[in-house]
Amino acid sequence: MKGTTLPVEKDLNQTLIDFLKKGLESGGFDAVLLPSRVPSGDSFAYLLIKNPSLLEEATPLPPVMPVQGAKAVSSLTQYGKTNQKILAAMRPCEIRAATELSKLKQAELENILFLSLDCPGALPLSDYLENPREKDKVFQEALENRKTESMRPVCQVCREFSTTTGDLHVGRWGAEKGRVFLISSSEQGKKIQETMGNQGDQSVDSWESKVKELKEQRLQERAQFHEDLKTKAGGPDKLLEFFNQCINCHNCMRACPVCYCRQCYFDSEAFDLPVDDFLKRAKKKGSLRLPTDTLLFQLGRMSHMVHSCVSCGTCEDACPMDIPVAQLFSLVADQTQKLFQYSPGRNREEPLPFSVYKEEEFHEVETPYRKTYSKGEGKNA
Amino acid sequence: MSEDFKPKIIYFMCSWCGTGGSETASAHHLYYPENVIPFRVNCTGAISPLHLLRAFVEGADGIVISGCHPGDCHYNDGNFRARRRVASIKSILDSLGLGADRVWFRYVAHGEGKRFADTAAEFNEHIKNLGPNPLKERKET
Amino acid sequence: MPKVLKLSQGVQEGTKELLRFLLSEEKVKGIVTLKERSPQQGMGYSLITNPQELPNTRPLYPLMPSNAGKILSHLTLKGPSPQPLAVVAKPCEIRAFIELAKRAQGGVENILLISQTCPGVFPLQMSVNGGLKEKLSSYWKSAQKNEVFSEIRSTCKGCVDFIPQNADIVVSVAGSKDSEKECEIFLNTSKGESFVEGIKGSKAAEKEITNKQTQELLDKRKEGRKKMFDQVEAEKPEIEGLVQIFGRCIGCHGCSHVCPICYCDLCFFDSQQNEHLPQTFERYLDLRGGLRLPPDTVFYHLGRLMHTSISCVGCGMCSDVCPVDIPVSSIFTKVGEAVQKKFQYTPGKDIEEPVPSGTYKEEEFKEIGEQS
Ligand code: SF4
Ligand code: SF4
Ligand code: SF4
Ligand code: SF4
Ligand code: SF4
Ligand code: FES
Repeated sequence: MKGTTLPVEKDLNQTLIDFLKKGLESGGFDAVLLPSRVPSGDSFAYLLIKNPSLLEEATPLPPVMPVQGAKAVSSLTQYGKTNQKILAAMRPCEIRAATELSKLKQAELENILFLSLDCPGALPLSDYLENPREKDKVFQEALENRKTESMRPVCQVCREFSTTTGDLHVGRWGAEKGRVFLISSSEQGKKIQETMGNQGDQSVDSWESKVKELKEQRLQERAQFHEDLKTKAGGPDKLLEFFNQCINCHNCMRACPVCYCRQCYFDSEAFDLPVDDFLKRAKKKGSLRLPTDTLLFQLGRMSHMVHSCVSCGTCEDACPMDIPVAQLFSLVADQTQKLFQYSPGRNREEPLPFSVYKEEEFHEVETPYRKTYSKGEGKNA
Repeated sequence: MSEDFKPKIIYFMCSWCGTGGSETASAHHLYYPENVIPFRVNCTGAISPLHLLRAFVEGADGIVISGCHPGDCHYNDGNFRARRRVASIKSILDSLGLGADRVWFRYVAHGEGKRFADTAAEFNEHIKNLGPNPLKERKET
Repeated sequence: MPKVLKLSQGVQEGTKELLRFLLSEEKVKGIVTLKERSPQQGMGYSLITNPQELPNTRPLYPLMPSNAGKILSHLTLKGPSPQPLAVVAKPCEIRAFIELAKRAQGGVENILLISQTCPGVFPLQMSVNGGLKEKLSSYWKSAQKNEVFSEIRSTCKGCVDFIPQNADIVVSVAGSKDSEKECEIFLNTSKGESFVEGIKGSKAAEKEITNKQTQELLDKRKEGRKKMFDQVEAEKPEIEGLVQIFGRCIGCHGCSHVCPICYCDLCFFDSQQNEHLPQTFERYLDLRGGLRLPPDTVFYHLGRLMHTSISCVGCGMCSDVCPVDIPVSSIFTKVGEAVQKKFQYTPGKDIEEPVPSGTYKEEEFKEIGEQS
C-alpha cells in the first residue's frame, strides 16, 4: 500500500476535518457521513454533511460509539445506492459491519467510500456520560499516549484496530511525530488523493511493520482474554449467572448493527401462547422465569449473527444491566468464524457462511457409524 | 450415573430418507428406545438453529439429525446446508461449555433401517453416559 | 370500607405466608411474583407453581426489573387464564395491566391482584452495581416513617398513585409503623375476601386504606412531583428543547420495548413506513446541507408521546432502561398528566371506563417529518 502524510497540528480531529473539507471542496466526494456532537454536547450522532461549514462542529473520531456507523449507512442505503459519492468516516468495526450489511442486502455500498483509521478504541458509553467533559480529556490523553486501559474491554483486545477495508485509511502507527499517514487502500481511494492533489505514492512501510507487530501482540492478548472469559462464563451455571440480571429488554439486539431484522423472531407472535402453556412450563420446574426464554434469546441471536459479529461492543454499551454481552459474543464469534474461515467485513465479495457449502467439508460433525450395535439387531434391551 | 436415567432424545429426520429409514426399521421389526422422540421435518436443510436450540434449552438431553446421504437430498443441497448449521451450533455450544457432543449429525438412507435403529440406540447409550443435560434442570433459563 | 386481615409476622414474611396459603391450599394454580434467582443474586419475576419455591420469592422487593403489567398481558394475551392465578405487583404495574386489558391485550379474569401501599422502587442501575442491598434496611425504615427514600426512582419520588385502586388485596407497607412485627392486609374486594377464606390470622374491623400517614406521604410525593416537572420545564420541552433532551438518544427503542403501554409487536417507528429511499435523503441533504442518520429521533419520541400519554402510568421503566440516561419517564409523566387531565381520565383506575376516543390512533403522523 501507498499513501501520503498529513500534518497534525492542533489534534487529529482537526486534521481529519481539514482533510474532509478539502475533499468536499475539491470534489473528491460529494458529502461526508461522520459523527458530530449532539446539541446538548454530551454525546455524538452521525450526520450526513454536504455543507463544508457544518464540518467545523464534527468529530470524526469521537471518544465513544453511541450509534454503530453501519446503522447510519444502512438507514441511508437500504433501498439502493445513493446518487452522490459519500465518504463515510468511521471506525474499522463500523465499516466491517457495513460490509456485512451489504452482504445481507441491508446496505448498498456502491457510492459509499470509507475512511478508516487506526482506532484507539472507544470509552464505555456509561463511563463517558457520567462526566463528558472530563472524559473528553481522558480520551485525548489516551489517544496521545497510545494507551488503551480506559477503553471498552472489547476494544482493548480488538484485533482489527487497523483494518483497512475501506478506501482511505489514516495511519497513526509508525508515522513521524506530528504527522499521520493517509493511505489509499483502494483504487477509489487513490483517485480521491489524486483529485485532491495529494502525493499519494509514498511508502507506508513503517506503518505496515508497526501494525503487524502490534497485531501479533493483540492476538495473543485476545486469545488470553477469551480463555479467561470461558473460565468465568462457560458451562450452564456460570452462563446463567452471566445473564442473571438480564431483563429481556433486547436493547443489545436493537443496537447491534448486524441484527437487522425489522421484527426480531423473539419479539414476534411465536412467543404469544395461552396461559396454560406457561403454567405447564412452570410446573416442570416449579417456577418459570418471566419474561421467558432469556437464554434462548441470547443463544438464538448468536446463532443468527455469529458469523457477522464484528466485536464492536455496541450491544454491551446499550445494555442497561451492564451485562458484558459483547465480550461473550466476541468469544463465540471468534471460535465459530475461525471454523468457517470467515472474517466478517474482510471482503465484500466473500460469501456469508450460510449462503454457500462444499460437498467435502465439516466431516468432523458427521458422527461416524461404527456398527457396534449390529449384534443386538438394534433392539432395545 | 443412575441406572434409571432415561434421556429425552429428539431425533430430527427429514421426511424422505430419514423417515424412510425409520419406516424400514419398523418393517423389519427393529426396535429403537421409546425415549427417542422422532421429529419429522421436510428436509434437514429446513431445520432452523432455533429448533435445535429450543429443544436443547427446553429439556432435551440430546439431539440427532438425520437426513439423506450426500447427493441424495431431495432438495439437492439441504443436507450440506444443514451440516453447516450443525457445525455452527456445535461451535456455539462448545465455546460456551454447553456440551456440543449432545448433538449428532448422521446420514441415513431410506433402506437403512438397521442404521437408523442403531443410531437411535447408540446415541441413547452415548447420552446415558453423558448424563442429563444440565440446562434442563436449571430454573432460570 | 375494606376488611382488614392481620398476620402476626412482619410484612415480608406475612406476604409470603399469604402466598404460601394461596398456593398450598390450591386457591390459585400459580403466582407471579419477584424471586431471587439462583445461583447468584439477581431479581426478577417468576411464575411459581410449587410452594417449595416460595422461600426464594421476595414479593415486596423494591425493584421493577420488568413492568409486571406487561408480563401479565403477555401471559393472558391469548385468552384469560382458565385457572386462578395470583400476582404481586406494584400499584403502577397493576394499573398498566388494567390499561392493557382495556385494549384487549390481556384479561384480568381469574387473576387475583395483590399489591401494596408503595414506598417506591430503586433504579435498576442500583441492583447492577450492588448498591441496593446495602440500602435495603434504611429503605424499609424510611417506609415505616412515611418518608420518600432519597434513592428511589425519580418517577417514584413524584408518584401520587402509590395506593392501589384496583387490587383485590393490598398489603400495607408505606406508612405501616409496625411493619417488622405485623402484617396488615386490606381485603379490597369480595374476590380478595373469598380467596383468603380460611387463612390463620385475625380479622380486624373494617378500615380505610388511606389515613393520616398516607396523606402525609401524598403531600411529600406531590412536592416531589412538582420538582420533577419543574426540572422538565427548565429544559423547555418545546420542539427545540426536545431536540436537546433527546439529542443523545441512540434509537435503541428500549424505552418502548419495556413500556407496558407500548404493546405493538412491531412498533410503527421500526416499521417499513419509517424507512426512506436514498434519494429522499439526498434531496433533503441538498436542501439543508446536513442531516442526521438514522433519522427521526425526535419524531419517534413525539410519536410515542402521542400513543402512550393518555395511559402512561408513570412507572419509570423507560428511564431505567435508557442506555444514555435520558429522563424519558419524567417527560412522559408530565405530558401524560396534562393529557389525562384534559380528558379527565386516570389510567388503570376503572376497567369499565373506556380509553377516551381520539387519543389513540395508529397511523396519525405519517406526514410529520423530522430529520435533524
Ligand atoms: S453482537 Fe455486539 S459486538 Fe457483535 S456485532 Fe453485534 S453489537 Fe457488535
Ligand atoms: S436475534 Fe436473530 S432474528 Fe432477532 S434481530 Fe437478531 S438476527 Fe434477527
Ligand atoms: S441489553 Fe442487556 S438486559 Fe437487555 S436483553 Fe440484552 S443482555 Fe439482557
Ligand atoms: S431508551 Fe433512551 S436511547 Fe433508547 S430509544 Fe429510548 S430514549 Fe433513545
Ligand atoms: S412511558 Fe415510561 S413511565 Fe410511562 S408507562 Fe411507559 S415505561 Fe412507564
Ligand atoms: S430431503 Fe433428506 S436431507 Fe434434504
